[in-house]
Amino acid sequence: MIEIANITKTYGTSENAATALKGVSLTIDNGDFMVLLGASGSGKSTLLHIASGLERPNSGTVKYDDADITALSDDKMTTFRKEKVGFIFQQYYLLPNLNVDKNVKMGADLASNRDYRNIIRAVGLYDKMNKLPSELSGGEQQRVSIARALAKKPQVMFLDEPTGALDEETGRQVLNYICEMQKEVGFSMVMVTHNSNIAEMADSVVKMNSGKIIESYTNEKRKTAYEIGW
Amino acid sequence: MIIRLRDSAKLLGIVIMCACAVLVCTLFLNSNIDMVRIKNQITDPEMMIIYDLTVSSSNMTCAVTGGALGLTTVVMLLFYVKHYIDTHKSELGILKALGYSNWKIAKGFWVFGLSVFTGTAIGFGLAFAFMPMFYREQRNDGTLPDVPIHFNPVLLVYLIILPALVFSLLAVLYSYRKLKRPALELIRGNNNTKIRKSKVTGKDKTDVPFLQELKQSTLRSRFSLVFFIWFASFCYAAAVVMSFSISEIGGSDMMAVMMAGIGVVLAVTTLFLAVTTVIKGNTKTIAMLRVFGYSDRECSSAILSSYRPITYVGFILGTAYQHGLMKLMMFLFFNNSVLGLPDYHFNMQAFIIAFVSFVVIYEAFMKIYSARMKRISLKEVMMEE
Repeated sequence: MIEIANITKTYGTSENAATALKGVSLTIDNGDFMVLLGASGSGKSTLLHIASGLERPNSGTVKYDDADITALSDDKMTTFRKEKVGFIFQQYYLLPNLNVDKNVKMGADLASNRDYRNIIRAVGLYDKMNKLPSELSGGEQQRVSIARALAKKPQVMFLDEPTGALDEETGRQVLNYICEMQKEVGFSMVMVTHNSNIAEMADSVVKMNSGKIIESYTNEKRKTAYEIGW
Repeated sequence: MIIRLRDSAKLLGIVIMCACAVLVCTLFLNSNIDMVRIKNQITDPEMMIIYDLTVSSSNMTCAVTGGALGLTTVVMLLFYVKHYIDTHKSELGILKALGYSNWKIAKGFWVFGLSVFTGTAIGFGLAFAFMPMFYREQRNDGTLPDVPIHFNPVLLVYLIILPALVFSLLAVLYSYRKLKRPALELIRGNNNTKIRKSKVTGKDKTDVPFLQELKQSTLRSRFSLVFFIWFASFCYAAAVVMSFSISEIGGSDMMAVMMAGIGVVLAVTTLFLAVTTVIKGNTKTIAMLRVFGYSDRECSSAILSSYRPITYVGFILGTAYQHGLMKLMMFLFFNNSVLGLPDYHFNMQAFIIAFVSFVVIYEAFMKIYSARMKRISLKEVMMEE
């Protein structure tokens, strides 16, 4: 379980200071799929970065099974990310000089996962293992980034607008694949999006605005990527 | 103007390279031209041999130093032009889309030649500052008559004006060639550099750790950087060990100090340029490695340590080169002279001093840049996009 309590985050100093998060608290259960919904500048990405140990808050705590990660040293925070979390970003951030196989291996090596090629096969890119990211479409690149994150065997997967750069059809395919993998592997999942339709796929939804949670609710039934609007 | 004058000011490596080359060449060539004026005063055949030796050794020094540094400056200039185009692809693509011709954009690259002008002018000025001491040192054994210092305008043309013009032209022509790409490709920031791919051929490749693969790919991705890092250690070894050799065979202390100084300055500048580019070129990779949980040590090892073997190979080759060059020069100048061949052997002590000092400088560089890598965050990368 992840317990986030009273998180505040301010960027800049004195007159240039901008507060991104104003005392945000929430809980993510094991195996839960949570969507953080909000417009640009609402603080959802900052919250995702803090919850995943990419950034530190000015105040507040982020506890993974009662262990506060905000108090960890840089080295221990790196180890935490290595062992616990996976990331999927809107811009993919694949390593441009390495082919599909090696990009996925980047995640696999951290978890000593020698069967990572099964994941490449599962995302449908086995025949493109030798291709460089620049030789793939946007959807294929995102599938590589999903495979890379899955190969790491994370306990929690953080996704920052994973379909933001994709067309509808590819976006649905990618979301469908992510959700299937989540059900199969059982990791928790936190997804940031501004697309309110995607929220219908989640177990729980947290709506944000101006650095605060304005609404949170639980869906009775999760919809699939092909059942939601776009 | 498309390329600003400010962009030329960033080419510190070229400025230093040119300053060093012109400093050495001006000292020796000015001295040679001035010595012609005293040639008719020499009547003693033995003195004439020393005169010829001095002139030919000066010419050789100029050819070796000027040639090597000149070629490296060419490589560095081409590297800077390519780097500029790579990092300003979108802006250049927009200009092309707006209707600017390749030639019109390329013409702006002439300002890169200003760095050559600045460097050569600094070297020329420094040479005249050191000239009295240099002339005194060259003739401190009293064998040759004193030579008064003259300002020879021909050197101004050959060592400052011509190089600046040639390098400006080179920058324009090379950029013209590099700009011959569709505007859309530039705007999208597509990289047209060919990446050598290693094929996945069954189970065996799975056994090579990812970081090892990344090391190899970092090394393969930019050959010019491999050359610069190799060149830095080569220069350092050749110049520093040679400075000891010069002292050993009775050469002037000033020459020895100058040689060592040039070696250190060139090595540090080139290393700075190359390692900074390595880090900048791999910012996204470093950020992602850190996000995924690779430790700082693993990140710095994957990006920087692949250059270490090349550096030390460069050092060994630089040492061998200077030893061979000294032997050759001894043979060419003294073999048939009445003075006989001077006693010259490989100086192990000099080698050890040069090696230890180089290791200290190189490893300090790696430490500084490893610390800089720790400050790279994904947030920073995202903000840039």
